[in-house]
Amino acid sequence: MSLEEPRDAKPEIGVTDDGLDYDALAALLGDTLLDREDHVTTEGFVVRPDDVQDALRTLKQEAGFDHCSCVTAQEYQDRYESIYHLKKYDDPTHELSVVVPTSRDDPVSQSANDVYRTADWHEREAYDLVGIEYEDHPDMRRILLPETWQGHPLGRDYDQTQPQVVTLREHANPLQEDHMADDTDTMFINVGPHHPATHGVLHLKTVLDGEQVADVEPDIGYLHRCEEQLCQQCTYRHQIMPYPDRWDYTANLINEWSYARAAETLADIDVPEYAQVLRTMSAELSRMAGHFLALGTFALDVYGEFTAIFQYAFRDREIAQDILEDLTGQRMMHNYFRLGGVVWDLPNPREEFFEKTRDFLDDLPAKLDEYHDMITSNEIFQVRCVNTGVLEPDVAKEYGATGPVARGSGIDYDLRRDDPYGYYPELDWDVVTEDGCDNYARVLVRMQEVEESAKIVEQCLDLLEDWPEDERTLQSNVPRTIKPEPDTEIYSAIENAKGELGIYIRSDGTDKPARFKIRSPSFSNLQALPEMSNGEYVADLIATLGSLDIILGEVDR
Amino acid sequence: MTGPLQATTLPETLSGLLGLNTNDPLQWFLAALIASALVGTLMLTNTALVIWAKRKITAAFTDRIAINRVGPFGLLIIVADAVRLLSKELIVPDEVDRPAYDLAPLVLASSALLGFAVIPMGNGIQIADPETGLAYVFAVASLASLGLVMAGYASNNKYSFLGSLRAVAQNLAYEIPLVLTGVSVVIFAGTLRLSEIVAAQSETLFTLGGLAIPSWYAFVNPFAFVLFMAANLAEVGRNPFDIPEAPNEIVAGYMTEYSSVYFVLLYLGEFIHVFLGAAIVTTLFLGGPAGPVLPGIVWFLIKIWAVFLFTQWTRSAVPRVRIDQLIEIGWKGMLVLSIANLVLTAVIVGVLV
Amino acid sequence: MIGILKGMATTMKHALDGETFTVEYPDTAPDVSPRFRGVHKFSQERCIWCRQCENVCPNDTIQIVTDEQRNGEQYNLHIGQCIYCRLCEEVCPVDAILLTQNFEFTADTKDELAYNKEQLKNVPWYKDIDPLESREPDRGAWIGEGEGEIDYQ
Ligand code: SF4
Ligand code: SF4
Repeated sequence: MSLEEPRDAKPEIGVTDDGLDYDALAALLGDTLLDREDHVTTEGFVVRPDDVQDALRTLKQEAGFDHCSCVTAQEYQDRYESIYHLKKYDDPTHELSVVVPTSRDDPVSQSANDVYRTADWHEREAYDLVGIEYEDHPDMRRILLPETWQGHPLGRDYDQTQPQVVTLREHANPLQEDHMADDTDTMFINVGPHHPATHGVLHLKTVLDGEQVADVEPDIGYLHRCEEQLCQQCTYRHQIMPYPDRWDYTANLINEWSYARAAETLADIDVPEYAQVLRTMSAELSRMAGHFLALGTFALDVYGEFTAIFQYAFRDREIAQDILEDLTGQRMMHNYFRLGGVVWDLPNPREEFFEKTRDFLDDLPAKLDEYHDMITSNEIFQVRCVNTGVLEPDVAKEYGATGPVARGSGIDYDLRRDDPYGYYPELDWDVVTEDGCDNYARVLVRMQEVEESAKIVEQCLDLLEDWPEDERTLQSNVPRTIKPEPDTEIYSAIENAKGELGIYIRSDGTDKPARFKIRSPSFSNLQALPEMSNGEYVADLIATLGSLDIILGEVDR
Repeated sequence: MTGPLQATTLPETLSGLLGLNTNDPLQWFLAALIASALVGTLMLTNTALVIWAKRKITAAFTDRIAINRVGPFGLLIIVADAVRLLSKELIVPDEVDRPAYDLAPLVLASSALLGFAVIPMGNGIQIADPETGLAYVFAVASLASLGLVMAGYASNNKYSFLGSLRAVAQNLAYEIPLVLTGVSVVIFAGTLRLSEIVAAQSETLFTLGGLAIPSWYAFVNPFAFVLFMAANLAEVGRNPFDIPEAPNEIVAGYMTEYSSVYFVLLYLGEFIHVFLGAAIVTTLFLGGPAGPVLPGIVWFLIKIWAVFLFTQWTRSAVPRVRIDQLIEIGWKGMLVLSIANLVLTAVIVGVLV
Repeated sequence: MIGILKGMATTMKHALDGETFTVEYPDTAPDVSPRFRGVHKFSQERCIWCRQCENVCPNDTIQIVTDEQRNGEQYNLHIGQCIYCRLCEEVCPVDAILLTQNFEFTADTKDELAYNKEQLKNVPWYKDIDPLESREPDRGAWIGEGEGEIDYQ
């Protein structure tokens, strides 16, 4: 709550007591607005490709849309389209999509980079995968695919069988880009793609000035698995659900919720209360598992590779995973949610499950104390982490940072509370924020969130225990094939362990999505890395990267 | 060679045993060679044991089981690992600076081994006992920095380069406090000869409930002991001062480009270095090989292993400091403290004596 | 300084209490939960060749070949490509394809992981757990069938 400035001074346009007044917003845009579309949870304002900046700037400054959550690009039969999904950090239920159609012959549209810094990477991705070009973009290059890639894979006329010419520059000097020119003192160094601290295959093109980072540019895409396209080729009903587990592969189960939420809203499917409780509990267990891993690997980055903390964190993560295994049948790739519910009830005997989970929760405070002894109260850790990797709240919002990264910068933003879903509104828990804006604050946020998750799980357990036996409905009645109305569009998001995980789906009347877009929190968070680590020491660059807790599976998708 | 003042050195004992003439340089050389071989083997065996012990110790701290398959308690892993490492392909990257690249592992390993020549290990195991023993030990121990620079600079790899530069900066910052703290011991003992420093510690400091506490300098001047231990951690590059390697930041520092035999040498060299550091601590502060009941050499080994254990312990729980913080601690903290310690010691000794 | 010492004390406490949380695999086979999903087991006797499993599989792991009379000839499943989502088991009306708890499989080449129906039949149970019994799949929601004893061999 800390950061909510008194907004009474200048009331935002279009805000009414029960949501948004789209007519007022439309009036605000005036002539720039070409058309209005109906999306499932919001409206789409169509603007001309050369009015993008004006329209977005007006919306940002006068209507308070300070969060550009995602940019979706897609190709229709007759046009290209970029959709800017706007939200407010103060109230994410205030949503608006700005739709920018461009012609098929000349897909050029103005870049939103000047208004929202986060659009930079999103637009690069749109260019890379779909083929829309953005004017005034500072750096219009491919982002996920290799530079030599031919064609744009999500475009309509892309030939999947076309052989790709990826030049094997066997004898090229990998250090060619070396900035060791005579007249500078800097040194270019490749951190990654294979480096102990990048937690996956990430490549940081780093320019060092002595021990200090003069410039760093993340190069991503090494783990690109075409997840969006995979989902576009799967049926809504069953086949998509196994895939979200593979995006953020440290806190898997929560991701399923993102798809479940989007598809259930799209197809208007109810979820029984009992299943909601099960979902909430399992998602929080999964969040705990993810945060333990984040804590452990961050300790690796700061302490060195023989630290005991990593092992202790894994020990605790293991218990959470065991519980999830009992419940879902798999340790990581759960595939537990189904549209309209979950697949299984608690395992029999239920008492055993309750006991096991309660034991875990009961042991938790002692373990967290131990972590605090070993991590947060350690003086060297404090000098290492306090005031390093600083991410000011304004900058964080510019880059669309969410999750513990945003909350560590004092931004009170948590979709579980602000855009409620599942059983969260019924439960008693708090959103954790810290005002430190540094690596230390982010660690604190994660550790406290574990406590909050424990609270939620505890309450869910009580609820499940007392739930009348004949009301334990796991799934509502869902048809075997789901074919949403053609041309319905939805963007909806949930809070996963890393932040706001959003899904955009456009249906075309078949049983498979026509466009499936994943807004991953790590992607946006990682984008802020240069801002956070320029001018810092190499060691802090590594620590900052660790405290962002990015998962490359989610960044590259 | 200096004549024996108190104890006979190992070459002399050996000459006596083998009936060699100590005045014949050739025979004396032979005796010294055998003695060095013995001590060297002892220390290398120790280091080999590290391969096993290190994993077991780390495992204990992290609640794991660790090696237990090959041989009793997994001890034969030492052999298996040695074979494995030695039989790996030796990859020499393009454009490395050949002689320096090849020599660096040798310099590193041998500089540490050389130091053991003057360490009194009890039971007359001491190869030489020169008057300037302490100065000699510090001198050869810091030769290792040269090896690190050679390794880093010759590797043609920026990570190695960074690592070696860090190593130099670190060694510069910590050698001085280390030596200065060592000098405070010298002021107490009044000599640089290691055997005499050890002897000076054998007196009883005070008796505690019938238990005679020897006047080890760790008890006489605990402040200097702590300071020396900390500086020593930095000198041998262990947590929290292991930044020359810092695998999470600069891959493996100066070791990045080494493989196979060279890697083994670097790795061993590093641990011999840790042991040499431990041996210096033992000699200066822990009474050397002195101890009840057990023979001196056993006590000596126990003490250096205890110091080694300590390095592993810090490794499990203490974060690595950043390079600028390290330099700051070195120049602004340790140096000042060690000078204060030195002056204080000098004053106290001056007043008392 | 206090914080550092507290941390060191904590690790020392762990070192001294002698507890370990790792297991000596494979000497002690780890416990898997009854719902765990491992390599498939297939029963040709039960299969009615309805091809539902083939259709539902998200990544075309199952390949079924039938003759003109829709009699089954081949049933191939690439256990290295499978993502163990258990959808095939969920849709199968007669429980002809099941996921055992068995997670131990190796092969020298990727091709060897493409199991045919004989190999699938011979996949051993893990610790003699009958997966169907322990999972109690809620089949009512889909087909309302598949209860009762199963007799494989
Ligand atoms: S478990 Fe899933 S991926 Fe594997 S064969 Fe069955 S349906 Fe296909
Ligand atoms: S769903 Fe079952 S019965 Fe149908 S083909 Fe597959 S295994 Fe056979």
